Amino acid sequence: MTESNKNLNPLEESLRNALRREDAPEGFVLKVLARAEQQNIAANDAQRTSWLSIFSQPLLRWSAVAAVTICLVIGGIYYRNLQRQRAEGEAAKQQLMLALRIAGSKLQLAKEKVNEINTSRPEPQLQNRSPRSRS
Amino acid sequence: MSTLTRKLVPLILLLAFPAILRAQDMKLPPGVEKLASKAKETVEVNMDGPMLHWASKFLSAEDPEERKAAKLVANLKGIYVRSYEFSDEGAYSAADVEEVRAQFRSPEWSRVVGVRSERDGDNVDIFFKLENEKMAGIVIISAEAKELTFVNIVGPLEVDQLADLGGEFGIPKLKTKPQSSKPMAKADKGEQK
Repeated sequence: MTESNKNLNPLEESLRNALRREDAPEGFVLKVLARAEQQNIAANDAQRTSWLSIFSQPLLRWSAVAAVTICLVIGGIYYRNLQRQRAEGEAAKQQLMLALRIAGSKLQLAKEKVNEINTSRPEPQLQNRSPRSRS
Repeated sequence: MSTLTRKLVPLILLLAFPAILRAQDMKLPPGVEKLASKAKETVEVNMDGPMLHWASKFLSAEDPEERKAAKLVANLKGIYVRSYEFSDEGAYSAADVEEVRAQFRSPEWSRVVGVRSERDGDNVDIFFKLENEKMAGIVIISAEAKELTFVNIVGPLEVDQLADLGGEFGIPKLKTKPQSSKPMAKADKGEQK
């Protein structure tokens, strides 16, 4: 064994001691997971707080309220107009159908009267309409 | 309503009224116009082209009656109906009705049916308007004892479409095959005595 080898042995020994496999203490995993969760919640809270903090300014808060109100009013008016148009259209359709029914009933009346006339008139004498009589 | 709107509305109506009258072939005399006050029941339908097309958008394609109606009104320019139902006989003047009939004694109109019934007092006249040998309108004047009805359908009305109505709305399938205005005039059924 050389001099250098003798000097290396204590170093090697100390390294081996430092790097030797050692099991984690009991509950270590749970502690790590709990800390990670805490950090996650804290980050989310911070994010939420920063988003809501926009409304801490009165101007922005009232602008948002006004925008929502305007949207609701416009939506309401649009819906009401749609409903009114539909009701008017249905009324117009009823009028149209009524007009067609009246026209139909009067044509029916005319047809009945014409039929009455045709049935009340005597049949024309076919003998008088022979080709000889025409000449 | 603002003052400006209040002034504009009558003005718009005044301007629109002659246009409505022009679209309608039939002009009712003042005597007929006043009948609404005497009538037990009055029906007044004034539908011009845009109104007809708008109304037809609401006709259901699933309902066979409404589907045929939509097809019929597709090319029409207007439908005008006045119908008065009275409680008693003699509520209207025969001269007023004759005045309306006289409007259709022009070459462009053909009286295809004219019924005079002295028995029950029912008089019905049907006039067809022909343009380029095609039907361009129909007028029905029905003067019954207790009912007076004027129907004016304006626009290109195919005879087939009219016949199509036979199964619907109680309209009969009329045997009308117009070749020219003269044969139509001969189709006049005359008077019942």
